[in-house]
Amino acid sequence: MGTTARDNTRALLALGAAAALALTLSSCSSGSGSSGGSGGAKNITLITGVKSDPFYITMTCAAQAEAKAKGVGFTADGSAQWDVSVQRPLIDSVAAAKPAGLLVSPVDTTALTPSLKQIQNAGTKIGLVDTSVTDPSIGITRISSDNVKGGQVAADALAKQMGEKGSVIVISVKPGVSTTDDRIKGFTQEMAKYPGISVIPTLYDNDLPATAASQIQSTLAAHPDLGGVFAGNTNTAQGIATGLKQAGKQGAVKVVAFDAEPDEVTALKANTIQVLVAQDPAAIGTQAVDQLVAAFDGKPVTASIGTTMVAITQQNMNDPAVSKYFYKAAC
Amino acid sequence: MTRSQLPEWARRALRRNEAWTFAILVVLVAYFSISAPGKFFTVYDITQIAVNAAIYLVLGVGMTYVIITAGIDLSIGSVLVLAAVAAGEYTIHHGAAGAGWFTVAVSIVIALAVGAAWGALQGALVATGKIPALIVTLGGLGAALGLAEIATGGQDPSGAAATHLQNSLGYGKVLGIPWLVVLAAVVTVVFGLLLGGTRFGVHTFAIGSNPAAARRAGIPVGRHLVKVYALMGLLAGLGAVMWLASYGTTSIAGHSTDNLKVITAVVLGGTSLFGGRGSVLGTVIGVFIPAVLTTGLIVVGVQQYWQDVAVGAVLVGAVYLDQIRKQTRERT
Repeated sequence: MGTTARDNTRALLALGAAAALALTLSSCSSGSGSSGGSGGAKNITLITGVKSDPFYITMTCAAQAEAKAKGVGFTADGSAQWDVSVQRPLIDSVAAAKPAGLLVSPVDTTALTPSLKQIQNAGTKIGLVDTSVTDPSIGITRISSDNVKGGQVAADALAKQMGEKGSVIVISVKPGVSTTDDRIKGFTQEMAKYPGISVIPTLYDNDLPATAASQIQSTLAAHPDLGGVFAGNTNTAQGIATGLKQAGKQGAVKVVAFDAEPDEVTALKANTIQVLVAQDPAAIGTQAVDQLVAAFDGKPVTASIGTTMVAITQQNMNDPAVSKYFYKAAC
Repeated sequence: MTRSQLPEWARRALRRNEAWTFAILVVLVAYFSISAPGKFFTVYDITQIAVNAAIYLVLGVGMTYVIITAGIDLSIGSVLVLAAVAAGEYTIHHGAAGAGWFTVAVSIVIALAVGAAWGALQGALVATGKIPALIVTLGGLGAALGLAEIATGGQDPSGAAATHLQNSLGYGKVLGIPWLVVLAAVVTVVFGLLLGGTRFGVHTFAIGSNPAAARRAGIPVGRHLVKVYALMGLLAGLGAVMWLASYGTTSIAGHSTDNLKVITAVVLGGTSLFGGRGSVLGTVIGVFIPAVLTTGLIVVGVQQYWQDVAVGAVLVGAVYLDQIRKQTRERT
């Protein structure tokens, strides 16, 4: 998750962040010292990218359960939208509370660095979950899905559905987003291992379902042997499903999409999507809490963890070992 | 053969704005058909181009009226989303995907009513003459989308479209022609005739040519503008119904460029942004040029970004040609 909504006001925000940095540098020198001490209940705060997103809700639920099991306090919040200007006030308010640990899914790779640096300098242990920032000095641990691996999982599952022959195409949102670019990279690399499958150059729909619908239908005209599509996100998958249905090819052309949000699971049941590649937000949440607790206790911490992804199809979706990967809309 | 030897109908056709853009469309179709024999211009391909153009055609018909009055409507994408959300929320609370035909009918009426009401409100503001249409509808663009996001929390609600609606209007066919295309064609013919052959149409042109003269001639300019913008809103509401039927979701984030697409199509079709000239037939051609390009470039295997370049060039070229011919006409 956390892939589509990089916003183009980044430069402006970076400017604002620089101004904030100048302000905060002068105030943070007095904050260090007492918070790393021993004993008492430690507190972890989690701030997610989009509060209402089932991916983050699932992550929050798992983190909360793990925190309870480990006997540390836990609070969670998240941005109303995928927007730096919405998330920053939340992060800044955490600075005032000085928790022992902060888990955060930053919505921008640079703009939030000054705020996070200030919190880290005040003694709070920071873990970056799902998304991260470019400054490597931020955070003691970074936990996210291995997106290249996810692309490979998607390719293998789709190849199997297609009987390992035919053409496949990737229709994604836009170029230049690290997570989706990694997924496409993994997907294309893995597909090269199947001699019977040829990969058609990637198309981008700018997050517009109507564009995706027209693109998939045009691709069908040009490549009658089209057997599979890799959809970049939910909107794209929706457009592709409509396009295929109008062309009378629903089910004949297999669709693989990322994530396992409730409406995607519905689409899987309805056979408009044949494969879902689910991330494991619960594992991200659980491991993040574990890492912070280890840091509190002075134990070694893993700097970077990549969680696995799993392919869900109609055949295995009722298996409890697989259905636990469905994202939750509430704890 | 000189022009004077041509029959009268042919000479009249050549003077029409649409003749030139139609020629471009024919050239495009011929080019793609030759480059990709057996793949382009097949029954399958024509059907899918028409299906994908249907919603933009309905929006384009309304936009033609608005632009002929020398106005503009930037809000259509947001109004479409707002109408879809209103209809979708009703459907969700009355049976969701499994809703019956009565719910489907009510949700359609809701979408049309929301669109028409929003359009009428914007029309009333434009009619005061104190705020330019550009600003009224720019405000409407933000406000309508904002309301839709407030109602849904910014996430597309699931179960917004009834299966009945999707299987009939969305994917159904009559005599092999998708219902979406039939509906768009009916709307185009009805409002094309209304524009070209009735007093309502004459008033629309008169207001765009010279609002002061229209007022002196006794045309109720303000009331007519309200009607024109309400018509645009109504058709955006119809677009919302068609969208729900074919995509099954409200796609809140998926309509931010509808306005530019539709305005481009209308202008490509020879309708003047300065008002007073234009036709629904031209808009039909203008909608199909980008649609043919999208499909054709993918079929031929050319990088898709060329579509934006080609549409941009054709747009500027079409308006340039139009201006040249207009000057020639005025000189003679």
